[in-house]
Amino acid sequence: MFSVGKQLPYPVVGDAGIDKQFLAAPIKSAVDKFQLLPEFLKVRGLVKQHLDSFNYFVKTEIKKIVRANDRIVASKHPNIYLRFKDVRIGEPSIMVDGSPEKITPQTCRLSDLTSLINKQGYSLDCAVKLYSVATWKYAAPILVNVEYIQGSPGQMTRVEKNDVVIGRMPIMLRSCCCVLYGKDEAELAKLGECPLDPGGYFVIKGTEKVLLIQEQLSKNRIIIDTDKKGNITASVTSSTEAIKSKTVVVMENEKIWLLLNQFPKKVPIMVVMKAMGMESDQEVVQMVGRDPRYSSLLLPSIEECAKSGVYTKEQALEYLESKVKKSMFITDSSEKEGRAYSVLRDVFLANVPVHQNNFRPKCIYVAVMMRRMMDAILNKDTMDDKDLFKTMISEAKMWIDKFLEKNNKTSRFDFSHVIPKPLLAVQWSACDNIEYISRDTITNGLERTLSSGNFDIKRFKMHRKGMTQVLTRLSFIGTMGHMTRVSPQFEKSRKVSGPRALQPSQWGMLCPCDTPEGEGCGLVKNLALMTHVTTDEEEGPLISLCYYLGVEDLELLSGEELHTPFSFLVIFNGLILGKHRRPQRFATSMRKLRRAGKIGEFVSIYVNEKQRCIYLASDGGRVCRPLVIADKGISRVKEHHMKELTDGVRTFDDFLRDGLIEYLDVNEENNALIALYEGDATAETTHIEIEPFTILGCAMGKQAMGNIAYNQLCRKDTLLYLLVYPQRPLLTTRTIELVGYDKLGAGQNATVAVMSYSGYDIEDAIVMNKSSLDRGFGRCIVMKKKAVTIQKYDNNTSDRILRPDRTADNAGHMQILDEDGLAAPGEIIRPNDIYINKQSPINTRTQIIGSAANLPDSAYRPSREKFSGPEGESCVVDRVILCSDKNNMMCINFLFRHTRRPELGDKFSSRHGQKGVCGTIVQQEDFPFSERGICPDLIMNPHGFPSRMTVGKMIELLGGKAGVSCGRFHYGSAFGERSGHADKVETISETLVKHGFSYSGKDFIYSGPLGVLY
Amino acid sequence: MDPQPEPVSYICGDCGMENTLKPGDVIQCRECGYRILYKKRTRRSKFCYL
Repeated sequence: MFSVGKQLPYPVVGDAGIDKQFLAAPIKSAVDKFQLLPEFLKVRGLVKQHLDSFNYFVKTEIKKIVRANDRIVASKHPNIYLRFKDVRIGEPSIMVDGSPEKITPQTCRLSDLTSLINKQGYSLDCAVKLYSVATWKYAAPILVNVEYIQGSPGQMTRVEKNDVVIGRMPIMLRSCCCVLYGKDEAELAKLGECPLDPGGYFVIKGTEKVLLIQEQLSKNRIIIDTDKKGNITASVTSSTEAIKSKTVVVMENEKIWLLLNQFPKKVPIMVVMKAMGMESDQEVVQMVGRDPRYSSLLLPSIEECAKSGVYTKEQALEYLESKVKKSMFITDSSEKEGRAYSVLRDVFLANVPVHQNNFRPKCIYVAVMMRRMMDAILNKDTMDDKDLFKTMISEAKMWIDKFLEKNNKTSRFDFSHVIPKPLLAVQWSACDNIEYISRDTITNGLERTLSSGNFDIKRFKMHRKGMTQVLTRLSFIGTMGHMTRVSPQFEKSRKVSGPRALQPSQWGMLCPCDTPEGEGCGLVKNLALMTHVTTDEEEGPLISLCYYLGVEDLELLSGEELHTPFSFLVIFNGLILGKHRRPQRFATSMRKLRRAGKIGEFVSIYVNEKQRCIYLASDGGRVCRPLVIADKGISRVKEHHMKELTDGVRTFDDFLRDGLIEYLDVNEENNALIALYEGDATAETTHIEIEPFTILGCAMGKQAMGNIAYNQLCRKDTLLYLLVYPQRPLLTTRTIELVGYDKLGAGQNATVAVMSYSGYDIEDAIVMNKSSLDRGFGRCIVMKKKAVTIQKYDNNTSDRILRPDRTADNAGHMQILDEDGLAAPGEIIRPNDIYINKQSPINTRTQIIGSAANLPDSAYRPSREKFSGPEGESCVVDRVILCSDKNNMMCINFLFRHTRRPELGDKFSSRHGQKGVCGTIVQQEDFPFSERGICPDLIMNPHGFPSRMTVGKMIELLGGKAGVSCGRFHYGSAFGERSGHADKVETISETLVKHGFSYSGKDFIYSGPLGVLY
Repeated sequence: MDPQPEPVSYICGDCGMENTLKPGDVIQCRECGYRILYKKRTRRSKFCYL
């Protein structure tokens, strides 16, 4: 055991040779930081990014949005107004007969009415009407406090009203508005909820919908790239509350041009500069940089401008006016000051604000863009890689709040359209304009978006499909994996390999293994275990802090001073604040403030030496992860900290607050030197990884059968696969324990022989033991749901359920029906059996004379539902669920259960992706057995191993065998051997030897039919 | 509707109370007002010989 601690310096001869200081130094022992992980997952969790963004939206963002357009004024009478004072989200409820009734998520899951839009094709608008009324979703009212003017112009009174409902908001499960928030295990179980369920999704129309995390290029940042023709471009996608625009500056034919949607053709950039008041060419050159190389690149553009005869601001604006796209809607302001001027002010680089017509910040921004382009021309390696993860942002949040913003806007328009008209019509009588608030716009808009997944925001020209997905409930882990999925930004560009490749900057943020095969390979990603997605943070205090720390204001700088040597530009969320003469000092002090908790923990400070810029970011949607801070390579987290953690006196947040751990985003990681293990740290190391395996996600067994949730038998999924005897794996990993796989497992432990047998095992086929299948190996339950609605029609007729006629011809198929015409639970149902004896009226359109209830039998036609299933399989009616909505429409759900055992052709897989179909099922008598009489459950072909190199599986084979013989679970975590979180192969082998097996896990096997040694 | 309808009982999803329903009734528990009912599982031995 010599390897512990530092190695002695080699020549230890004589007194002088001994380094006394070295000998006296304490032995560095790595601190086991594993315990931080469960603590992290407690505060952040795997789906915390969904919850965080929703909570942020509900608590902060929605208030901001409402505050931004809080006043609605009647267009003809400016004195009449309606003002929103406050907004909040109420408790999840559903309106029943005009009164709210509290609901739980489980109720919503059970009472869907999706089959309501019926097939018999009656008028569409009727269907839509029914549809909007009869929806069960897990939603809460959006309540506002309003203040408005009531009465005639002569005597106006100001009325205040609190808690007015303006719409209903779908609620994310386990968010701060949800009834499940903060509930403990017992309370959750009482509500019919699985305590291990992560939440983070919506329940709409009885289905669980996840809003996927979206990946997109970062907003408001300069991105240098080359276009199709090989021209260098600098582009900025600006996004503010009001507008979204893309500005591209391109270098073509050695001249620099501006591309903007509002200009049909490209315009010379120098004209734009002049139009913004930068009439002096010299100042432009100074702003770009005095280096003669820059000016020589800029010269052709300046000449171009002079050739066009543009010298002054007025000439430039006139020139641009002729180029600008003529707009259909000309507002008063744009007519007055010229359309080109308003385009430059509002659309061009919209993220740079113009205060009091001061265009100087925009000019400097353009100059910086040009400088970056020229840098890219002079020096290729300053080019941004578009695929680089650092220029991308994942956000789940953005979409929903942008969407609601839009919806609020439309509803605002609704108010302004709706309110004045009746007011005018009724001659200013005392009408209560609060009555005119439409509730359905927001409600239906949100619901439609979440259930269809199509986001169309006209104002932002955004059309995206498939933003929401139905939560997969194939297995518990599959659900977890689905919640961490990141959907790609671009349409699937097939041929390009660039975006599919693994990016070094994704290290630790996205799982390097977890991506689908085939089409979406490399484009669909998954978050790693410790990733966190930030939400917006307030900018104002941070900006003023920057000025206090010595940032020189942009306003005070001349063009010449902008790029003086040794000074760095300070860019905050894509906005140039100014410059700083001592960038490292500034960055260090900002970081110290962050570690001290004076500024938000997710603010990132990144010094880019190449671009001579300091990037500060506090915006939402950046991915980041926690790391242990190290001073000169010595970890700040010490043994006593971990002891305090295990004793429960210290939490993860305390680690943050004490500056032991900090969050780094992808940009700031570039300024850090991160050691994988504490022992690897050198003097330059700034950070140490908390646990190396957290760079992985949780990708195991997404389609594996097993358990769904604790409430799996109370759920109502259309298709549900369950294992009859699910087991915990014998060889576990730390990740498995973290995500709760050991509590809701999937799969079974099998005794496996890796050998050739019978020839029915070629191409990865598996030979299975018939007796094992008889004993219940691999047996599963398939649950299918059928929903039947008792429809009501416009002519007051409705479907009816009849008592089965036991004497009729088809009585044989109606045996399982009870007297109420519904199948009895617990009965075996065969194909073509009727499970509901329903009749529909023949005439559903025209009005019926007389009472609809007393329709003769001849007016009905049978519309019985027959069970269709494969012949020879016996299914059982598991449950019959009845529910009705407020329209008294009855919805009957039948759940059919089918228990099936593995057959030829069923697919089986180990946890290492070694999948194979069942090739043959052999009697145990013919199966090989070992010296001890152990007979395997299945036989795998050894030819599957060499080419796949699944070393993990070899270790699992050993670890499982050792585990079953010594009665202990073994660990096989990735990267775990060094930090002691995984058993080494040597120790497993020792266990095997102790129990009388070969250290290699090999065994002598006797032939089943012959009884001879193979 | 039928002369002697055999009563079929339904169990409330919330309180477990047994309910009987007539055609046209609102699906709701009489006891607690919960709106999801399950059909009761019964022994139907007598029907097997019919």
